[in-house]
Amino acid sequence: MVNLSLSVQNLFFSYENRKVIKNVTFDIQKGDFVGILGPNGSGKSTLLYLLSGLLLPDAGSIFISGKNTKELSRKNWSREIAIVFQETNLNLDLECYDIIMMGRFPHWRRWQKENKHDLDAVQDALQITNTKQFASRPFRELSGGEKQRVMIARALAQEPHILLLDEPTSHLDILYQLDIMSILYQLQKKGITIIGVFHDINLVSQFCNQVLFLKKGEVLHYDLVNKSLHTPQLEELFDVAFLEEIHPYSLRPFFMPLGIVNKLVPLSTSVHLICGGGSGSIFMKEFLEAGFSVSVGIVNQFDSDQEMASKLGLPVIIEKPFSPISDETFQKALDIASKSDYVFLAPGYWGWGNLRNLDIAFSLLERGKRVLFLKESLDRKWDYTEGQAIDKLNRLLQQPQVKVFSSVSELLSYLKNITKNNSG
Amino acid sequence: MNIAKKRLIILILIIILILSMIFSLGIGGGRFQVSDLLSFFQPSSLSLSEKTILFEIRLPRLILTVLVGAALSLSGAVLQGLFQNPLVDPYVLGISSGGAVGAIVAILSGISLGFITLPLFSFIFALATTFLVLRLGKIGTKMPLEIMLLAGVAIGFFFSALISLGMFLAGENLHQMVFWMMGGFWNSSWNKVITLLPLFIIGIPIVFSYSRELNAFLLGEKVAESMGVDVEKTKKILLLVTSLLVAGSVSVSGVIGFVGLVVPHIIRIIIGDDHRQLLPASFFLGSSVLLWADIFSRTLLHPVELPVGVLTSLMGAPFFIYLLRRKKKGW
Repeated sequence: MVNLSLSVQNLFFSYENRKVIKNVTFDIQKGDFVGILGPNGSGKSTLLYLLSGLLLPDAGSIFISGKNTKELSRKNWSREIAIVFQETNLNLDLECYDIIMMGRFPHWRRWQKENKHDLDAVQDALQITNTKQFASRPFRELSGGEKQRVMIARALAQEPHILLLDEPTSHLDILYQLDIMSILYQLQKKGITIIGVFHDINLVSQFCNQVLFLKKGEVLHYDLVNKSLHTPQLEELFDVAFLEEIHPYSLRPFFMPLGIVNKLVPLSTSVHLICGGGSGSIFMKEFLEAGFSVSVGIVNQFDSDQEMASKLGLPVIIEKPFSPISDETFQKALDIASKSDYVFLAPGYWGWGNLRNLDIAFSLLERGKRVLFLKESLDRKWDYTEGQAIDKLNRLLQQPQVKVFSSVSELLSYLKNITKNNSG
Repeated sequence: MNIAKKRLIILILIIILILSMIFSLGIGGGRFQVSDLLSFFQPSSLSLSEKTILFEIRLPRLILTVLVGAALSLSGAVLQGLFQNPLVDPYVLGISSGGAVGAIVAILSGISLGFITLPLFSFIFALATTFLVLRLGKIGTKMPLEIMLLAGVAIGFFFSALISLGMFLAGENLHQMVFWMMGGFWNSSWNKVITLLPLFIIGIPIVFSYSRELNAFLLGEKVAESMGVDVEKTKKILLLVTSLLVAGSVSVSGVIGFVGLVVPHIIRIIIGDDHRQLLPASFFLGSSVLLWADIFSRTLLHPVELPVGVLTSLMGAPFFIYLLRRKKKGW
């Protein structure tokens, strides 16, 4: 293929006895901007080291612009690929211009003087990275972000076809992060292939066109960002739950970690959560983190509890917006809720629209389920049904299968104990 | 500081060196005489003994001092750059202790091969020690510098014990060994100059030709390698060449401390970290500094001649502390 920039075939690498890169194969087209994502220790940096020749693979091949790297000298390799590492805290008393000029090293022979082409290459690098204004300043006087721009300029002075970056922005503040990323974006436009390891998923989503997921030394996914960079793939990669939104400005996907570690153990105890108006979100979090499976309903569409439950992928029974609960929806809710071991009523407002939710609790009591709620639910402030909701709650209280807790932690420890006894 | 200024400073250092050399030639017998100096250019007007003093004593001593001063500070600058460590001096790989052990062996064994005996033994032992350190510091095919540094320190301790043992056993030869270990140029001769010169003629251009690699090392070994520097080869060649230069110096003059440590620091403060200027500047300043140390050693307590090594340490250590406290920038 004419436009093939980099081809990696069946690459293996181990440190001592620890296999770090296992059978990695991928092709990168000229002008791609590839973001490599993966958990710590997944071999991302090692992969970059292999590509730049700082480590040599145990097996497999790397082709750069069709050339087998096994036949490349160290200098020729550095003419093809340059690498920028995490920002440095070096305090060199050396002018930035001289540091950038060092990038010309692979083009020099011993004793060879700097020629016109060297000067031009450095000028171009200064231009693209916008570092002209501190070219004659000592490197040690620059800020972290400026130093990193100089290091990118130095890499560009090598005139590489491929630029590798190993977490180039991870300690920079947001302005410099965007600054560096937009420099890279411009380089991509100039036809330089860019491959970077990043920690920030959203930077990858916003700037890269390809994404490579590396997990335990293997390629999990490698595809266009549009296709591959979505919640299911990210969750598989990091074992962490994400929320995916569309970024209102760039229109690229934007990811937020939910702050829940995905439990991979099968959940034995299940709770049906009756909530609404945002009263349920906190309990979804608490129950999931405690290891229960959760179903939700009935909630109106566009209610914040409905949105959260849907994002979390929980079974949720939805009524039309601003509508009272219909018989049909009520039946659906009973079907789902009756699969649970417990029903929990979140402390929240009761109105004529959601009063029937309490009837779910009564129906389930009849089917032998246990119903739980918090003491604070009995407060009159929640009631907008002229006392009917509180009456129903008080009637529930008289049932033997109903249990009331004074705090969330008491509730959780009760559920945990039950689960332990059941499984034990 | 721009390149023109840096070059001007190097030029000034060369002029200082030349003036110091001229001054040094005129110094002797505890006085400075311009007539001594001028007669250098008119040898016919000199008596035989005056000729001998000028050409057989002062001139070889001058040249030897210049060469050793240059070698020590140049090697210091190179090794500090290579190891990325400001506390490294030319003896970091155990050359001084190795050379001292060699000298002790030469003195105690009573072997005599003429003037060359002591220099030859110390040279061989110094180099052997360096190779031992390099061998111990090597892991697989790589030479991790921090391990090499520790290996050098460990070997140094071991050899110090051997040196103490040698001195304990030395008996009447003790003063000879002590003199050697304190460093000095009192036994200078043309023979020594001639044996040392080839090392310099080959070694110094090689070192200068690695300025760019040393600059690349400033960015870290990884970055240097990614820019096309053959890191392991560079380390090997520079360690080998500086070891030869330092071992050669130690073999003719004994252990002279602090010049190789302090001079590169002074140059760094003046012209920065760029080895293309740092190396030649250290070279010339090192020569001048040692030349002046030798001048003082000959004149301060005349007619007693002080060991130069003692003088350089006496002057160098406080100056070094002053520099550290003044500079206070991370390295």
